[in-house]
Amino acid sequence: MTSSGSPVIVPRNFRLLEELERGEKGIGDGTVSYGMDDGEDVFMRSWTGTIIGPNNSVHEGRIYTVKLFCDKDYPDRPPSVRFHSRINMNAVNQETGVVDPRHFSMLAQWRREYTMETILTELKREMASPANRKLQQPPEGSTF
Amino acid sequence: MGGEPDGAGPTAGAEAGAAEGPKTVHVRCSNGTKFSLEVDLAITVGALKVMLAERCDIPADQQRLIYKGRVLKDDNSLDSYGLQHDHTVHLVRGAPASVSAAPPSGTIPASTPGPALGGLSQTPPGLQQTPGSNPAGLGAFGFPNFGLGAGAGAGAGAGGFGMGLQDIQQVQQQLMQNPNLMREMMNMPAVQNLMNNPDLMRSIIMSNPQMRDIIDRNPDLAHILNDPGTLRQTLDAARNPELMREMMRNTDRAMSNIEASPEGFNMLRRMYETVQEPLLNAATMGNEAGGDLTGNPFAALLGGQNTAQTQGQQIPSINLSNTTNATTGTAGAGATTAVPNTAPLPNPWNPNPTAGAGAGAGATPQTGATPLAGAGLTGLRGSAGLGGLAGLGLPDFGAGGGGPFGVDPAMMQQMLQNPAIMQMMQGLLQNPQYINQVMNMQPHLRSLLSSNPQIREMMQSPDFIRQISSPESLQQMLQMQQAVLGQLQGRQPTGGTPGQPGGTPAANAALPDLNSLLSMFGGLGSTFPTNTTEVNTIPPEQLYEAQLSQLQDMGFYDTQENIRALAASGGNVHAAVERLLSHPG
Repeated sequence: MTSSGSPVIVPRNFRLLEELERGEKGIGDGTVSYGMDDGEDVFMRSWTGTIIGPNNSVHEGRIYTVKLFCDKDYPDRPPSVRFHSRINMNAVNQETGVVDPRHFSMLAQWRREYTMETILTELKREMASPANRKLQQPPEGSTF
Repeated sequence: MGGEPDGAGPTAGAEAGAAEGPKTVHVRCSNGTKFSLEVDLAITVGALKVMLAERCDIPADQQRLIYKGRVLKDDNSLDSYGLQHDHTVHLVRGAPASVSAAPPSGTIPASTPGPALGGLSQTPPGLQQTPGSNPAGLGAFGFPNFGLGAGAGAGAGAGGFGMGLQDIQQVQQQLMQNPNLMREMMNMPAVQNLMNNPDLMRSIIMSNPQMRDIIDRNPDLAHILNDPGTLRQTLDAARNPELMREMMRNTDRAMSNIEASPEGFNMLRRMYETVQEPLLNAATMGNEAGGDLTGNPFAALLGGQNTAQTQGQQIPSINLSNTTNATTGTAGAGATTAVPNTAPLPNPWNPNPTAGAGAGAGATPQTGATPLAGAGLTGLRGSAGLGGLAGLGLPDFGAGGGGPFGVDPAMMQQMLQNPAIMQMMQGLLQNPQYINQVMNMQPHLRSLLSSNPQIREMMQSPDFIRQISSPESLQQMLQMQQAVLGQLQGRQPTGGTPGQPGGTPAANAALPDLNSLLSMFGGLGSTFPTNTTEVNTIPPEQLYEAQLSQLQDMGFYDTQENIRALAASGGNVHAAVERLLSHPG
């Protein structure tokens, strides 16, 4: 709950490069994967993540693709997050696949330390939450 | 590993592969295992899968490879995805390409843990693995209080276990509204035992759906709540008035510091909106839900801690020693829960003797025709439950029912002091089978125990039983009985003769004296110095001597007014001053 920022503010590019490396090397807890869509994009805006459906839920064994768009104000503002794979989940708009910050507190209460990895991990956790664990899901492979 | 990629070369990119040479690629399985292999990046994904099939028991057509957040397609080459040396590819078992999603777990050979057995779920334990909504989980916490609750409760005597169990809701409500109770409770060794068990505490917290919701949504809070240190500190604070005061002061200071800095106030507001509000809501929601009051004992805690920012939330209403009695109590008036509490936060931990006494004397609406003695007895009986004596002592105590014990307390005491009887009781208590039997006999207790292994353990722990059944404890309990009975006799507003309380409906006379009862039980097995019974008799002038003179020095000369303010604020001078200033005259 302390909110004094870290002494060094990592600029956007470095942050994203760092995340890129983590994604490519699979550093982290290994249950989510992410990378840049277009290696040529110098602004590193468009990203894709995958979430492997958590065990003991309807999502088990499924692979969900999530599109993340990091705008130029990225680490200060959250990226916009949109499910590419169809999923039935509370925080996800059923028309567009967009993750609604109002129902996904992590985005609403964004902090600079959060990364795309934390978003994906948190989404995965959300899938396993009692509210979402048992929701009937659209056929695998369908997309928004 | 060092071998040439034998199966790798069949595809078109032979020349490119020769030029680049094999690269090391790490493969991370969904069950947490990892391995590396050397591949030519020009090969197709499909070829890689064939190689992987030899390493990981997942047939190629069930493999899903993920890299940079994308599922790799069989027909594309590895380098078309930008795969490079030292990069990691995730491997997941998916449904076979043709067959529609069959649950994979069944087909996995036992030798390798498949995804189903996964080390995948790396979420902090206790978050998702909430003990499936465990209504009695709260009971675990409340359990030691049931007895107290019985004393506190409406005085509606139920048999067996001394009605406490049926009045959990009421008890919890009272607990929430009476920090004093809370503190006394915390002081009890049994409760402390519970507190020191972080797992149990967590399960208690998690058994509140609102709380769980918040935690699910807010990982930071989860960390805090999962940290046994924090928990203990919180509880310690709740127990220790000094610490509590210190913490409050610190918080206040920090708040004012923050507020002084630019943007600080906004930050505070945000914090309040995002963290505290939902927390408090969770804590108090049970209350508002009315009927479904499986509310949690943390309401008072949380309310007490988040002092500075609380606006109109349920600050523990300090002097409501007993909600039902609140209306009769003189002091409690200022602290009704419904109204936004703008009054300064009085010191919740100061026992408020006058209020207590007032409530005690103010004979509340009589609950039917409960005989006076019955009330005293059931209270006692329930309280005994606190120690675990409950079911056990019951056959003896319980025999008293409303009758014999009420008629002649002295006789009962004599009986209890009789060495033979004591021996017998100890024998009973030390016989685990008997205890088990008793425990199983009580449906309430049984359900409580079955949902709370810790309690069962506690109840079966020889140490605990020994402690409870030690002659000293019994002696103490006797004294308590005497005290209670003495009070009953003293308080009886109708002036009925103590010996024949049978028809006297002054059921609640003893109940408001809960505080004293509690402190007495707090003394059981621990050294709990304060004796509220005594305090109750001290006139306020004397009790608040120091504070009164302070107020005098400050220029408040109306002694009666000062006393009233002090009483209402639990002896806290600052709060009293605020009160005096806000209610002139």
